[in-house]
Amino acid sequence: MGAQAHDPADRLSVPASLTDLAPGHEFAPATFTITSEAASAYRQATGAGGPLVIDGAPAVPPLAVAALALGALLRDVSLPPGSLHAAESLEFHAAVPEGATVECRAKLAQRSVRAGWVVSVLVTDLFHEGALAVSARATVMSPAGE
Amino acid sequence: MPEVAPIQVQVTQAQIDAYAAASGDHNLVHVDEAFARTTPMGGTIAHGMLVLAFISDMMTRAFGRAWLESGRLDVRFRAPARPGDTVTARAAPAGGSGGLLTYRVECVNQAGEVVINGTATVREAED
Repeated sequence: MGAQAHDPADRLSVPASLTDLAPGHEFAPATFTITSEAASAYRQATGAGGPLVIDGAPAVPPLAVAALALGALLRDVSLPPGSLHAAESLEFHAAVPEGATVECRAKLAQRSVRAGWVVSVLVTDLFHEGALAVSARATVMSPAGE
Repeated sequence: MPEVAPIQVQVTQAQIDAYAAASGDHNLVHVDEAFARTTPMGGTIAHGMLVLAFISDMMTRAFGRAWLESGRLDVRFRAPARPGDTVTARAAPAGGSGGLLTYRVECVNQAGEVVINGTATVREAED
């Protein structure tokens, strides 16, 4: 299983499609806890080495923080069939220890239509104990008209 | 600049399924072969973030804490990685300035096709 969501949003509702959201749309801030089990499952799935121990605590792989946030985001927004992850930019600012609760703030920074594709840019900032730990910028292409 | 040892991984459907469960990304193009066959992909493909993890793991092994605290990745996903593919993540020095080291990074499949390429930047170790 992935990270444990704390967000009380109604998970039973049908998620909005990414291509239906207006540029500038801000997702409700959400928090999730990256348990040791979730970090271990991520490392096992990706073949990553054992956790680095930083300041006495095993650290979550930095890309896992972004990936788990993306997974959490996908509970609130659906991707049209045929969507492709075109590009990704990531900045790691601080190690996140296993068991940490991370706050996720995300918005649809840009959306445009090019050559039959809707190009969406999702910007996500992830905070641990109030400090920015990871920032991510994902470019997703979805077939127009889906 | 420090050399970065490459990583080689054989992608399997079991690994893709495990990644879907771990990440919460259950997009059918990754986990449902029958659906994926109806798409332009022609079959299941690995999550881009799964393949990108090979690059991040490579940089973590090379730079440790510095990668977790100062790493930066800018990449484009060029081609899908499919079950059965052998993916090699590798890095080539691209210069350094201001205490930062930059590498050209890429993942290629067994045919030499580029799956991901871009740059990785990390703070130079202080000691």
